[in-house]
Amino acid sequence: MKLTPWKVLAAGAALILLANAVALVGVYLNRSGEADSRMTLSQRELSMPWRGGMVRENSGLALALNWRVIETSTGEYFGSGFGANGGTPDWLDESRMAALGFDTAAVAADQAERRRFERQLPREVLLVLELGGPAWQRALERTRQNVARHEAALLANADSKEFAAKAKRAQEQLKREENANSRLFAIDAGLDRAALRAKYPDRGRYLIVKATLRPRTVTRDKQTRVSGYLSALAVSQINVPHALRPALEPALRSQRRTTDEPGARFEATIAFGQRLEPWIEAVAVAR
Amino acid sequence: MNTPLRSEAQRRADEIAIFQVELERLDSEGVLHLDPAQQQALREHHAALLASFAGRFDIDRDAQARQLSLGMRVASFLGALALAASVFFLFYQFWGNFDETAQVAILLGAALASLGLTVWIQTRDASGYFTKLAAMVAFACFVLNLTMLGQIFNITPTDRALLPWAALALLLAYACDLRLLLAAGICCVVAYVAARVGEWGGIYWLHFGERPENFFPVAALLFAVPALLAHRRLSGFAAIYRIFGLLSLLLPMLVLGHWGYGSYLANYDIEARSIEGAYELAGFVASALAIWIGARRQWPDMVNTGITFFVIFLYTKFFDWWWEIMPKYLFFLVLGLAAILILLVLKRLRRVGHGATEAAP
Repeated sequence: MKLTPWKVLAAGAALILLANAVALVGVYLNRSGEADSRMTLSQRELSMPWRGGMVRENSGLALALNWRVIETSTGEYFGSGFGANGGTPDWLDESRMAALGFDTAAVAADQAERRRFERQLPREVLLVLELGGPAWQRALERTRQNVARHEAALLANADSKEFAAKAKRAQEQLKREENANSRLFAIDAGLDRAALRAKYPDRGRYLIVKATLRPRTVTRDKQTRVSGYLSALAVSQINVPHALRPALEPALRSQRRTTDEPGARFEATIAFGQRLEPWIEAVAVAR
Repeated sequence: MNTPLRSEAQRRADEIAIFQVELERLDSEGVLHLDPAQQQALREHHAALLASFAGRFDIDRDAQARQLSLGMRVASFLGALALAASVFFLFYQFWGNFDETAQVAILLGAALASLGLTVWIQTRDASGYFTKLAAMVAFACFVLNLTMLGQIFNITPTDRALLPWAALALLLAYACDLRLLLAAGICCVVAYVAARVGEWGGIYWLHFGERPENFFPVAALLFAVPALLAHRRLSGFAAIYRIFGLLSLLLPMLVLGHWGYGSYLANYDIEARSIEGAYELAGFVASALAIWIGARRQWPDMVNTGITFFVIFLYTKFFDWWWEIMPKYLFFLVLGLAAILILLVLKRLRRVGHGATEAAP
């Protein structure tokens, strides 16, 4: 068949229009009907992503979702705070990993089997994120216990600079946990969305998102257990619509977030639609 | 008669130049002598053909023009990449200033307008260089279009976006006789097929590269295309399919030859060392086969790619065996001797090839 200029133009234009239509219909379907979840997050759970290098020239504005996992294996620095998404949660055990499609057979047998388990490639799973619930309370409680332990140690060793420094660090960690760290915790994962929603029906507290899970073994006290490493969310940054930028952007740019300070205080209503893709519905900046 | 493409016209012009030189030589050696009428007819025929090609395609009519056009090809290739990057950063710099409707309209409008511009330039650009620039910008605009839609509306990244990109790149490549766009389209197809193969195995698509064997099916597909579809009118297209087919076959073999844990075979209690050994051997056999088939079929692209990989496989093997234990002068001497051995083998292969050609009826 001879490709005349008109045929090329028609075929190319049809292709471009069709691809755009498919993408936009997907957006419409995602946002139609009742949202899968809708919650109000603050600057603790939403932050401006890194904007160095060539990204500096990006005139768009997006917010990154900060979420955490509780890891006992990390000792007193459990439940990573601001800026560290992902980890190896305690609840991700052998039966859960098997249910998520990983081959966990004979992992305990020997080193070679463990390596074989960890060689399996990441899978996409549905992750349940809980906002300000029992997981956050647990993290808060453990941070308080950590402070109490270090203060008791300081009392017993009043002249020790090392104990004083540790107690100060624990206090700072508590302050961050109370005022700055994200309250959004990964608490469960599955493959069946309906079953997860039935288990966590509160759409204002439990988000279901797509995330990547990689098999991992955790060794503690000479005991190796099957687990998994939760990493990137399928959509990790949420674009701020143009209409909402005037309210949010000046505050975000003037008050930058640091590890100790949460930066500009704001709240954003985020909805996750039928295809678990998010969008920002409203923002309010605290004066 | 079909209207020839630029590459066809260039090939014919080259053949005419060679024919004229040889005809003069045959005449001076007394082997063949055309009478004045025949010479005149031949000259007029060739002159008319060349004038027609030059008018329509801006072909190279002599060695100097050929050298300059090589420079123009390099400039248009670099210019195409730079313009594509420029379009990307231009949008990135200003898109935040518009609302979502305007953003979508700009993205869609840029993709359609750049496509229209490409088609318009193609009808007026005899050289093909400006068409290449415009086509690359059109492809970049379409890639930007879908990527930014994903960013604006927080769409989950998907490998399916590679399909329309591949389709547009291939459409422009075949319509405008552009090998750069063909390579871009093939890259999209390679990534898509490898991602699909990985996903059928339960892998999240973005990690398809972690199992190099995911590329083998697409290698077979790329070899099959020029075998099933004749590309006589499109110069170099079949060669590009074969080169990408070989890259999709030999690069994963090279990686797996040094990283047995990356293989699917490691799931079946096969030692990583055995897998690496098997892939090293497969790499040698496959690259040697590529050289042999390329030499027999007179596909220089296949021969050159095969030789490159054969040498890489050989040198990496030498490195593994002898880098630590040999004095460096001896190690490099062995490399040099190996190169001489390869030259001797290729020379012999070439002689055999010549013999076969001469023996053919």
